[in-house]
Amino acid sequence: MKTFEEKWTAWLDDQISGQELADFEASLPDKAVAAAEKKGAHQLGLLLKREIIAPAFTNEEFFSHQLRERIAREEALPSSERGSGFSTWWTIRRLFWTGATSMALFLICAVFVMRDKDPTEPSPYLSQILTARIDPTVSPNATVTMFDSKEDRVTVLWTEGLKSLPSDYAAK
Amino acid sequence: MHTEATPAQPDVSDLELVTKCQSGDSQAFDELVTRYRTRVFGMIYNMVHNEQDAWDLAQDSFVKAWKSIQRFRGQSSFYTWIYRIVMNVTIDFVRKKQVKGTGAEFDDAIQLKEINPAAKTMPKPDALPYEQLQQGEIKSRIDQAITQLSPEHRAVILMKEIEDMQYHEIAETLGCSIGTVMSRLFYARKKLQNLLKDVYENI
Repeated sequence: MKTFEEKWTAWLDDQISGQELADFEASLPDKAVAAAEKKGAHQLGLLLKREIIAPAFTNEEFFSHQLRERIAREEALPSSERGSGFSTWWTIRRLFWTGATSMALFLICAVFVMRDKDPTEPSPYLSQILTARIDPTVSPNATVTMFDSKEDRVTVLWTEGLKSLPSDYAAK
Repeated sequence: MHTEATPAQPDVSDLELVTKCQSGDSQAFDELVTRYRTRVFGMIYNMVHNEQDAWDLAQDSFVKAWKSIQRFRGQSSFYTWIYRIVMNVTIDFVRKKQVKGTGAEFDDAIQLKEINPAAKTMPKPDALPYEQLQQGEIKSRIDQAITQLSPEHRAVILMKEIEDMQYHEIAETLGCSIGTVMSRLFYARKKLQNLLKDVYENI
């Protein structure tokens, strides 16, 4: 669906015909005004063509000479120092390598940090459980068994016969 | 579109020269520069209205073209391709200059609000008869009017009215849709008609 601006421009430049032209012209509220505008646009075009003339390009050979020298200078530079012609590609490549290197460094650091952490060190919660006491008057047949796997870094506390969980067992 | 004043048809096509350039033949590139330097300079000059700037921007454009020549696939003409580079370089320059200068003069959104698409073109109240305008004044009025257009509108009107380029060529050069080209052309013409009506109506 063309906008009014697009249709108007195509109409001024005689780029529409047939049914589209008929429909557009029928939609114009004032054909006389539109025709005057079209004439004005053509006059403007003629004026611009007549008056917009760039100054003579007199030093053509010097221009080419200067350009040759500049290109030769740039060619002599190492590729990393060359101008923007290659910059996008290098930037993308650098971004990729920077990202990959950062990721690798992060993984290495993460592995070292995990390894450095002492697996035998008991957690504060385990110490809290071990120091808690079960009241024999409330739960006389209560037993508490603890399974500890240091390799897997897992501790399971198995309780039986408790009427209620001692408040000390609640994690703080 | 025509190339620089060459009396005879060039023996070697642009595409052949480009192929040679891609193999590292700098003489072939030199030949392409010779073919297009005058038109490139003229187009840039009409955008920036300054010979030294036009010279420098033309140099920058050709250097960019040399660096990017490996990426030219021949899907468009070399002329359209180099024009795209020229326009990118020039529009970028005009934008930067405008940012350093007066401010939001070239804001498309502002222009859309300022110009009612259905409005009639009204003559300036201080209209001068054409006879009273000296040639230099006419040129100056046109330059001033063109300067008031955004870089994109300026490029579109110059390519259409001066270079006689088709909508699709302009679209390809500026990397936008044909609809955008037509819309920009509409607003550029409206603005210029407002600013120059007293001039062109008295020719």
